[in-house]
Amino acid sequence: MTNRRQFLYKTFGGACLISATSRIPEIWLQAPGLSAHENGERILVVVQLGGGNDGLNTVIPYGDDAYYRNRFTLAIGKANVLKIDDYHGWHPSLSGFARLFEQQQIAVVQGVGYPQPNRSHFESMDLWHTAHRVAENRQLGWIGRCLESDFPGGIATELPALHYGNERQPLALATRGTPVPTITSLNQFRLGVPQRRQFLEKVDADLKRPRAGEGNMLLETIRDNAVVALNTTRRLESIIDRSAGVKNYPGTPLGQKLAAVAELIDAGLPTRIYYVTHNGFDTHSNQLAAHALLLQELGDAAWAFAQDLQQRGHNERTAVFAFSEFGRRVRENASRGTDHGTAAPVFLFGGAVNAGLHGRHPSLEDLDDGDLKFSVDYRTIYATLLEDWLNVPSASILNGEFERLPVFRNAS
Amino acid sequence: MAANLWEPWEPSPQEPWDRRRAAHLMRRAGFGGTVRQIDELVNLGFDKALAMIRESAGLEAFEAEMTPLEKSLVSRQEPQALASWWLLRMAKTPHPLLEKTTFFWHGHFATSADKVADSAAMLRQYRLLREHALGRFEPLVQGISRDPAMLIYLDSTDNRKTRPNENYARELLELFCLGAGNYSERDIKELARCFTGWEVRQNQFQFNPHQHDSGIKTIFDQSGPFGGDDAVGIVLRHPAAARHIARKLVRFFCTDDDVVDEEFQPLAELLRENDFDIGKILAVILSSRFFWSEKSLGKKVRGPVDLAIGLIRLFDLNANMNDVRGRLAGLGQLPMFPPNVKGWEGGTSWINASTFVERINLVQFLVERIPAGSAGPLSLARVTRSQDEESRRVIEDLIDVWFAQRPPTETVRELMELASQAGKTADMIKRVLPAMAAIPEFHLA
Repeated sequence: MTNRRQFLYKTFGGACLISATSRIPEIWLQAPGLSAHENGERILVVVQLGGGNDGLNTVIPYGDDAYYRNRFTLAIGKANVLKIDDYHGWHPSLSGFARLFEQQQIAVVQGVGYPQPNRSHFESMDLWHTAHRVAENRQLGWIGRCLESDFPGGIATELPALHYGNERQPLALATRGTPVPTITSLNQFRLGVPQRRQFLEKVDADLKRPRAGEGNMLLETIRDNAVVALNTTRRLESIIDRSAGVKNYPGTPLGQKLAAVAELIDAGLPTRIYYVTHNGFDTHSNQLAAHALLLQELGDAAWAFAQDLQQRGHNERTAVFAFSEFGRRVRENASRGTDHGTAAPVFLFGGAVNAGLHGRHPSLEDLDDGDLKFSVDYRTIYATLLEDWLNVPSASILNGEFERLPVFRNAS
Repeated sequence: MAANLWEPWEPSPQEPWDRRRAAHLMRRAGFGGTVRQIDELVNLGFDKALAMIRESAGLEAFEAEMTPLEKSLVSRQEPQALASWWLLRMAKTPHPLLEKTTFFWHGHFATSADKVADSAAMLRQYRLLREHALGRFEPLVQGISRDPAMLIYLDSTDNRKTRPNENYARELLELFCLGAGNYSERDIKELARCFTGWEVRQNQFQFNPHQHDSGIKTIFDQSGPFGGDDAVGIVLRHPAAARHIARKLVRFFCTDDDVVDEEFQPLAELLRENDFDIGKILAVILSSRFFWSEKSLGKKVRGPVDLAIGLIRLFDLNANMNDVRGRLAGLGQLPMFPPNVKGWEGGTSWINASTFVERINLVQFLVERIPAGSAGPLSLARVTRSQDEESRRVIEDLIDVWFAQRPPTETVRELMELASQAGKTADMIKRVLPAMAAIPEFHLA
């Protein structure tokens, strides 16, 4: 309760009006058009690239002959890469990332991995999700852990995290207390009653009335949530009435997921962490065309999302983190594909990132049994996101202290 | 503390035995009922009403009807169907207290069909929970300790002498019997040794004497060559056990508010004195001053299952449980699919910005199942009342039987006005119930 009230206070500062009978700031009831979080809390959006993204064909070391020797059919020609500098370039399908880069809004952390790499999708993804090794307890996700009510310094707003999509909820969000909801459609926020407008008017009137038995904390919490819920449904109404996809977003699954997340952010949900997935990166054969499509979907959705958030004033407080469970082997296989590998780049974009390449590209000569050697432990990324972005202590979540990377301009 | 709140409550002119209280009993000791059933309880008087809630009349005939369904569940191997089946039981059972208490144990010994992926094993666990639901706790824990679904769920199907699996031992102490802070890591290790040789093979429990560690174990301050059943006995004799179970019962049946130790300490003592006889303790709870005071009345948030089954029972609806199941999943409570080993957190966690709207939508969905134009599913047939009188009666009936706390006067007046715009009683209900669902008090139980 306290936390929720703190959230309302923080959101509106000292200026908010509180009626005599209700402890809900009047503004929540009366100004449905107002974006509640123009100066609101920071938000993290996680994009999971499932299947093992080929990092070498994402951020391409086109300045390295070894790349061309190992990728005899899959290599992207020097002339085609979207150059970052005289060594690195984006895959040509990642024009969305390239444009973000021009705008100084995307950071790449190179060579991210972990010791004793596991090449099973499940094992490696479990590791990314829980930040725990096999032998350790893996019931809780790294995000789930910072939502636990008994975790000091954790995220304690109502509805702290949301998973958006049709797939099974990723283990990263697993909690022991209140579960993280999975939302499959914005329609879930749509009020399905006849004569909605009149209905909402009546409800607004009721929610403002004084109650018998003031001090029933259960009732107060229900009322607080009712207010947020009805404001959300009202704000989303025009969007969810539209049968076609949201404008300016690609019609791809990831595009539509990020479009929905943007709507939820703009609708003023108190949610701090959104999680979406983009699957299909397990490119063992005929990788070229398939991978290009996957990256196109990623880059275009990212660009549309960033533009949208910028227009609506949420870009500075939103950071998107994209990762995959592993990269792929340096040498392509006989099926014009690549097999499960190890270290790979991760991506962070948004208005507050310290744009550019962080860390060094892993050597293509000094390999570990044909695989890239990692130079950045994935938990340093988590420590950075937790401490510097979400302002959550990371040591107990990650089972240890990890250094942080300068990927945010204004670390918290 | 002045008085023991677990002593029996008696109705009085100040605290009469009326519809509000009878509805409270039906909600908490079951899933609610029709206006007619609630009026019957009122007419019976408090003592007889209480006795009736504990009766199992008609259960045999009901089970005979349900048995063929169970067989088809097992042959279909479609775990989702288990949820529909259980919802149907909750909606139709003649002994709601037994079903509700079984559901309580399901949340306590939370096991998800999602992971177990074996309908027969889940069904066997359900039967175990029901068999002991109103019986003694110790045989229930002994049964659950060798229950294949539980052991699969906790990755504890292998328990070798040289490599004892600590998962089950840990949850037995932390979640099932004592609560955190009442044992050491060493107790967990020693307890795990007691369960070595307890295995699941082809989804059947078996004891493998070759893998059992028959050495001396020390749990708390007791040492001996304990086996699993001995260990359960030792754990249950720990003073924290009765407190832990009493606290969970009070939370489930009485209140989502915090209860201080002193308040339920007498109940914990009764539990221990009565050898952890759950049926007896429930009888104490349901007749107690605590249960009938403002400490309990209206002090629970209605869970999704209580919301759906409550409306289905209130209007005696024939809803397709597969549809209801889909909506309950979105609301965060699907029987047989608890979110994690701790079960459903309950309380205010049921309500958030997405579920509040979905709860209203569920109510809309269910009232659409009331046959149109009928005289109405509320008790008394409409005879000569005017439209205004009838709408007033409908609203007052619904408030009596559904609302644990009365909404503001002005809101009630608006509801009556809304109802009077509809024609027949059934149409009034269809019109007002979704609007009622947007009122915060609607979600208290």
